[in-house]
Amino acid sequence: MARTIEVLPDAVANQIAAGEVVERPASVVKELVENALDARAGRVEIELAGGGKRKVRVADDGLGMSREDALLSLDRHATSKVRGTSDLRALKTFGFRGEALPSIASVSRLTLETQADVAEPGTSIRVEGGRILQVRDMARTRGTTVQVERLFFNAPARAKFLRNTAAETRAVSDAVGTLSLAHPGVAFRLESEGRVLLDLNAASDLPNRVAQLWGDRAAEELIPVHGEGEGFRLVGLVQRPDAARPGFRRTALFVHGRPFREPALIRAGDRAYRTTVAPETRPWILLELRVPAGSVDVNVHPTKAEVRFQNRNAVEALVERSIREALEGEASAATMDQDLPLPHVQVRERSPAGPGDGGGSSETQMALFLRGDGAPGPEPGQEVDGLVPEPAEPPRLWQVHRAYILAEVRDGLLLIDQHAAHERVLFEEIMRSFDTGGSEGQRLLFPLTLRLPAAEYEQAEALSGLLHQTGFEVEGFGGDTVIVHGVPAPHPNFDAERSFREMIEELTHGSELVRSARNQHERVAMSFACKSAIKAGQTLDEREVQELFDRLFATELPYHDVHGRPTVVRLSSRELERKFGR
Amino acid sequence: MNFTITRQNLHKGLAAVSASIPTKTTLPVLSNILFEATSEGVRMSGTDLDVGVRIQVPADVSLEGSLTAPGKKLQEIARELPDEPVRITTQGDQIELRCGRSHFKLNGLPSEDFPTLPAVSFESGWQATGETLLSLIHHTSFAVSTEESRPILNGVLWELSDGQMRMVATNGHRLAKMTVPAASSSHTTVQFIVPPAALQQVQRLFGKEEEVVVGQEGNHLGFRSGGTEVYTRLIEGSYPNYDQVIPRDNDKWAVVDRKTLESAVRRMAVVASDQTHRIRMSLAKEQMQLNVLTPDLGEGHDEIEVQFEGDDLEIGFNAAYLLEILRYMDTEEVRLGFKAPERAATIEPVSGEGEESGIEYLCLVMPLRLLD
Ligand SMILES: Nc1ncnc2c1ncn2[C@@H]1O[C@H](COP(=O)(O)OP(=O)(O)OP(=O)(O)O)[C@@H](O)[C@H]1O
Ligand SMILES: [Mg+2]
Repeated sequence: MARTIEVLPDAVANQIAAGEVVERPASVVKELVENALDARAGRVEIELAGGGKRKVRVADDGLGMSREDALLSLDRHATSKVRGTSDLRALKTFGFRGEALPSIASVSRLTLETQADVAEPGTSIRVEGGRILQVRDMARTRGTTVQVERLFFNAPARAKFLRNTAAETRAVSDAVGTLSLAHPGVAFRLESEGRVLLDLNAASDLPNRVAQLWGDRAAEELIPVHGEGEGFRLVGLVQRPDAARPGFRRTALFVHGRPFREPALIRAGDRAYRTTVAPETRPWILLELRVPAGSVDVNVHPTKAEVRFQNRNAVEALVERSIREALEGEASAATMDQDLPLPHVQVRERSPAGPGDGGGSSETQMALFLRGDGAPGPEPGQEVDGLVPEPAEPPRLWQVHRAYILAEVRDGLLLIDQHAAHERVLFEEIMRSFDTGGSEGQRLLFPLTLRLPAAEYEQAEALSGLLHQTGFEVEGFGGDTVIVHGVPAPHPNFDAERSFREMIEELTHGSELVRSARNQHERVAMSFACKSAIKAGQTLDEREVQELFDRLFATELPYHDVHGRPTVVRLSSRELERKFGR
Repeated sequence: MNFTITRQNLHKGLAAVSASIPTKTTLPVLSNILFEATSEGVRMSGTDLDVGVRIQVPADVSLEGSLTAPGKKLQEIARELPDEPVRITTQGDQIELRCGRSHFKLNGLPSEDFPTLPAVSFESGWQATGETLLSLIHHTSFAVSTEESRPILNGVLWELSDGQMRMVATNGHRLAKMTVPAASSSHTTVQFIVPPAALQQVQRLFGKEEEVVVGQEGNHLGFRSGGTEVYTRLIEGSYPNYDQVIPRDNDKWAVVDRKTLESAVRRMAVVASDQTHRIRMSLAKEQMQLNVLTPDLGEGHDEIEVQFEGDDLEIGFNAAYLLEILRYMDTEEVRLGFKAPERAATIEPVSGEGEESGIEYLCLVMPLRLLD
């Protein structure tokens, strides 16, 4: 019988692998930039022609390769980065397969130029369709330049799937942008047909990188996130709820500087925003995870776009909790300031590459979201722009326009929307009281007898248990009439009948607000808070102002109401001074 | 218009009327006082359109006429004038005021611009002593509702029937009711729902000893004594059946020293939530316990001696309501009646031996539902 199983020649194996690793110019750029980052480059320059279809050129000032290494790097499974399986889990570098360069080389005309040691000459290697055509010495500085021309010249079926130049260029730019976020300390430059698309100097931290990429405005709208638990550590930036908009959003997830996709984690982040943003709103979420060795598998996807966490639930919980905590902070409040200082998230100092780091991989080139000392985020004392009410001296408060509370705090002024603030207070109170059996209602001497439309009557009856816990003691009277024997007393000017009617109407016919609720309890609590809170136009005396202020800041999310609007707008002393030219 | 008036009479009239002038108004004429000089003297009127006050003061009128002039300004001037006769004249829409060497001119508005006060006839009216009226108002009007959704409860119910007069006020959470014997009332029962602002003017303008005549004209009520009149619009609609909610079957009774209870509740209120003012009252033999537990704040406990009859009971209250009612109780001891933790409690004064006055005073408080 004839032998049917054969070991594939390398060239064929590489082409097959290339089908998986290399989909389009953007994946070439991604692999080459990752190699440069693995080689601890301080600066990476990318040039495109024809959206990368004609030419991709990636130059770095990293460690470079000796001639021997350079030749080896084009061999399949030749990698300097993984020695055994435990290394694979340590996740120190992007590369671990030794597959990228040979794969790319097998479907293009590739030139590799590199120099590792000033004492030796540099090497230039020309490869076409995986075949080495030429190896020669060359004079160059330390680092590596890889040029990839005519991608898929020998694989026309694949070339057919390439999109137009503009689309391919955009994909490259996105890939570079994403990697640049994970490595704010590295300078990036992207040029296409002589046009500079990105020119990013080494940035001190993530917020500054964000500012470089998307402008200062965007960076100002982000607040820092930190979290820790079960060996995981999380840092990042998320959007201030008042700045978040429906539609377009930016999200980026990294594990040890490695971008990955995981919709479930973004959803966990969105959950953290619940009740602070309108339901359709899609806040930006940029997160970097550090995980214990062995808790994540990065080798589950040919282009490494996905990772698998051993305990995804724990990671999701960490994301939700940490973002939630970030939103509790004052930094998440809306601001009137023009030039809010960028959130303070320091990056790890880049230490110069050198011996003693154990070859081409070391921690120093990794995720730059972290502080130099490895602590997750700013010191407690260094809180972002701490407009926190001074504990020793209670802030002075005034009601203005019968709608807002003006508070004088240590570092400026806070303007608080009295309705929004009370909404937040009531919402959390009712949610808490659901756990403790409800809140006490005021019994009525003359029960309210209310006729309701049929649908609302049914809703009132169906919800009578929960309504009872908010303080509305409702009894069906038959027909279309309910009797309310007891009502809540959220504030002295509470109009029980109106509030009840509006609430039932909202709960029956729905609204944007109640659609954002996660469950029936939340629906009722949101609607109750919204309909029962102190309204604008209501005069509050000094004591009431004080009490509202105190209760607001005793809530978990004092800076956001249940509609996703801000409760507080702040104006820092610094901004005031700036405005007055002092 | 031209008249001479003593400073005292001018000041008395202005003081009476200017308190009825609205402080903020978009109708300029409402911040003015209407002067009407006739052979009988001078009438001054002020109104905020809901309640009007008119007073007639003696003056030596040499030229009849009328004009409206800024009320608050005139009052301030009159207060500072020397004790000498004041001559008031008009020139077009200006009012001139001369007193000693002082001389003022103020811009007024024509009297036609001033709203006419309701023409109430006092002939076929009712009579009440100032004392009765003031006591009724004092003991009940605090309980009116300020909620806008049930305007009917924004007024005090005033019932006049054969041999008695009664006022009732409630906001639906607590109720105050007082009934006093009245010599000459009406044979048919009449009911008015009177805005508390009008009753405040009555309290302010009429003395205990005065005989007040009350007249009705359609939707308006007038009070008159001497040269002073108060007019008010009545609140329309039917008042809820208060009698039906007064518990008849309360079977647990506590008699307690009013001051002791008041200060104990006041102490509890310090620790109670500022929103709900919820406190908890437990009654057992000879003892009333007051408890308060407010999350995030703390707790308080107090015990006072009571004479208690009936089964043990635990009930929640809004401390603010209790305190308010206790403040209006005039006796040393009060009696509290209960049926169940979700039913209305009653509070009444306990009058001493032989102090039967025929006056009945009763307050109700609805409890706060307790959570365990
Ligand atoms: N820019 C560079 N600077 C220095 N060394 C490089 C560079 N690019 C590649 N190398 C060397 O070539 C080897 C092969 O690179 P290649 O990308 O094919 O594999 P890898 O990065 O190890 O793994 P992966 O296939 O997962 O990317 C690397 O291990 C590294 O030693
Ligand atoms: Mg690689």
